[in-house]
Amino acid sequence: MSIYAVNKLCRDALHDLTFREALKRDPRSAIAGLSLTEQERSALLNGDVAWLYERGAHPFLLAYLTRWDLFGLTVERYSERIRAAHEPASRE
Amino acid sequence: MAEIVAAFGVPHTPNFPALVAKQGPDCRTATLYAEIARHLQAARPDVLLIYTDDHFNTFFLDNFPIFAIGIAEETSGPNDQTAMPSYRVAVQGSLARHLRARSIAAGFDLSLAQDFALDHSIMVPLHFLTPEMTIPIVPFFINGLAPPLPSSQRCYALGQLVSAAVADWPQDQRVAVIGSGSFSLEIGGPRIPPGERAGTPDPGWAERVQEHLEHARVGELVAEATPARMAQAGNIGGELLNWIAMLGAVGSRKPVFIAPETEHGHAYAAWRLD
Repeated sequence: MSIYAVNKLCRDALHDLTFREALKRDPRSAIAGLSLTEQERSALLNGDVAWLYERGAHPFLLAYLTRWDLFGLTVERYSERIRAAHEPASRE
Repeated sequence: MAEIVAAFGVPHTPNFPALVAKQGPDCRTATLYAEIARHLQAARPDVLLIYTDDHFNTFFLDNFPIFAIGIAEETSGPNDQTAMPSYRVAVQGSLARHLRARSIAAGFDLSLAQDFALDHSIMVPLHFLTPEMTIPIVPFFINGLAPPLPSSQRCYALGQLVSAAVADWPQDQRVAVIGSGSFSLEIGGPRIPPGERAGTPDPGWAERVQEHLEHARVGELVAEATPARMAQAGNIGGELLNWIAMLGAVGSRKPVFIAPETEHGHAYAAWRLD
């Protein structure tokens, strides 16, 4: 269920300028207070968008991260990684 | 009594306003939108009923409706940082209230939004079609982005029901219906091209949809637009449902104008009903 927090993080990066700046400055601290599993946390910090997609993170929201290269996700890197992803079992 | 006088289908790509600002009024996007705007002005609508899919901006996944309608005196947008002017636009609350009551009575349990702003999916079309924002709108939200989606049959039946409900709204007003969105589009998913964040994975499906529209084969279109087929056309392929709901007002009429952009996965179209 906490993949919801990943989706919410992506949305907040778009809408909340303070949060976005914190993500740029120090991503680990910026997401420290979020309700994420350790695997989700490390997938985010590693920019592992394929893993997040496969667990149900919404691609429209994940793609926001490339607008500011958050978690090291340039468009090129994002594209390369997501293109290797498998379809998720479910999404909500 | 109110009358549906015209219907339109348009894409709502968020970079269009910036693109047209840069490339000028002779670029293809500006020309196509201007053609639709001419048809819309000729139909002299008093109200625009717009079927669209919110992109997690008006609503979010904490509370995400399959169908919803906006009832307010006015609204504003865009609320999603789209590079375009900000607008305020009146909402035709009386019609929206009537449509909500009729829909629920007929078994379409619409969610209600009363304090809301709109994202690019409505504001981009309005920016090109009615930049003076003088025509009140009724925003009608269909979930086209977060599976499971409503079925094409359900959306078409909703469009037919809403169309009938407009006809018995006891105000002498001319209503235009707009369906907003793409037929084939992938954003941020595995089928984007290398080095891009979005692409058109299935231009063949966009061409087929366009041909069904051109030849008024609405039954075939609704039958073929299964969840699996739309998903194959991209993770934004469910936006076709906005067009299918709009077609509920059109029925088997042929468009008076249609321009495909199948390489971009969408089309522009206009129908006259009066």
